[in-house]
Amino acid sequence: MPSLVSPIEEAQLTISRPRANTWWQQMRMGVLLFPCVLLFSGCAASRYSAPVASFRDKTHQTIGVLSEFYSSRNSYEIDLYLQGIAVDASLPVQTIDASGAATPLGRPVFSPTSIKARLDALNLVGAYAGRLYDLANTDAPTKFQSAASVLGQNLSKLDKTFQTLQGAADPSANKYVGPISSLAGTIGQMYLEQKRDDLLKKAINDGAPQVDVILAQVRDDMDHIFSQEVITGSNERLALLITAYNKDRAKLAYEQRTARLAEVRATANEAAASVGSAPSNLVSSMMDAHKALVQAASSTAKNKPINLQGLNTALEEWTTQIQTLSAQVRLLTH
Amino acid sequence: MIKVDTTTLSTVVNQCFAYATDGRVSPDQQNTFLAEGKRLRGLLMNLSSAQFDDGTQAVLDANKQLTDVNGELSNSAAAIANTARTLSDIASLVGNLDGLLNVATKFI
Repeated sequence: MPSLVSPIEEAQLTISRPRANTWWQQMRMGVLLFPCVLLFSGCAASRYSAPVASFRDKTHQTIGVLSEFYSSRNSYEIDLYLQGIAVDASLPVQTIDASGAATPLGRPVFSPTSIKARLDALNLVGAYAGRLYDLANTDAPTKFQSAASVLGQNLSKLDKTFQTLQGAADPSANKYVGPISSLAGTIGQMYLEQKRDDLLKKAINDGAPQVDVILAQVRDDMDHIFSQEVITGSNERLALLITAYNKDRAKLAYEQRTARLAEVRATANEAAASVGSAPSNLVSSMMDAHKALVQAASSTAKNKPINLQGLNTALEEWTTQIQTLSAQVRLLTH
Repeated sequence: MIKVDTTTLSTVVNQCFAYATDGRVSPDQQNTFLAEGKRLRGLLMNLSSAQFDDGTQAVLDANKQLTDVNGELSNSAAAIANTARTLSDIASLVGNLDGLLNVATKFI
């Protein structure tokens, strides 16, 4: 059977063979790289998104509890004031007392403006956690083309080479277009993951000092103002209820005494919970997790697994703390 | 800027409430401890955010008095044996802390 290839074409094929060898070499290299790329891109994809998602969720939960606590401070003081009125029939309800001082009904004990400032600061921390989450979950595929053109120049060229071959000299090239595109996409995504890590690292490094300042301020508030408020408030409430019971007990029926004593017991529990500084501990757990996040973001590639493990541990501890402490904080919320 | 020692003040408040429910103290004196505790707590809420110029003598005196009264209340046997004097010292403390509200430079 005569050759379908003319001598001229034979010569052209001979001349073009080195080029064919080049793309075969490229393709083989690409195929060899493919599993490695998948492996690394898998690691990159899961490295931050899970802990950052957890960090965001816990931040929102913690902020929710703390906001509820802050927002309830003035109503707590009004409740306490009215309880004092209720147990002493000689006391009238007033907005300003006989000495000219405003009662909690006449003027909020805590300035609504300063409460709002604290809530705003906490919301900023929430926005920071939300932004980190957004960064950790950037939609990589939609940004692939530009990213691939930055890093994957060679892969893009290879992709084009295959597309040219597909419609021309080598029909079998068609089979390789898909895998090569996918490989290029994976490598491009790896690039994006790296870029995403860099963005996350920058966001954490830029935002962390401010977040630390806000959280330290919140904890300081809890330790020096609100801790004293709830501890003395709980003790006042307990003393009021005990005094009222002792004064009235002779004229109370058994059921009434039982009901009053149940109230005393509940208030004694509240007083015990107030000593534990639950709101402050909640903020401390948040600060620990944030510190671990900063360490993970700023660590070297060598130390990253260890620091990510530390971050996960801090997040787990925070999760446990939220469950326990939220219940205690809610005892202090009226 | 200096501040009132609110940590000691809150301890004094809590001790007043503890004596208000202490069976070793007469009912009338229990009521007085309760009333003084409430007044002191009101002052604590106001003074916890108050700041004063450095060296304000009234603040230095009040902090010294807070330490003294706290020491007095911490020794329960002596406090109960001299309840009238203890209550008088607390009343004096309330008056002095009340006066500080007028000299605070700012409330944060």
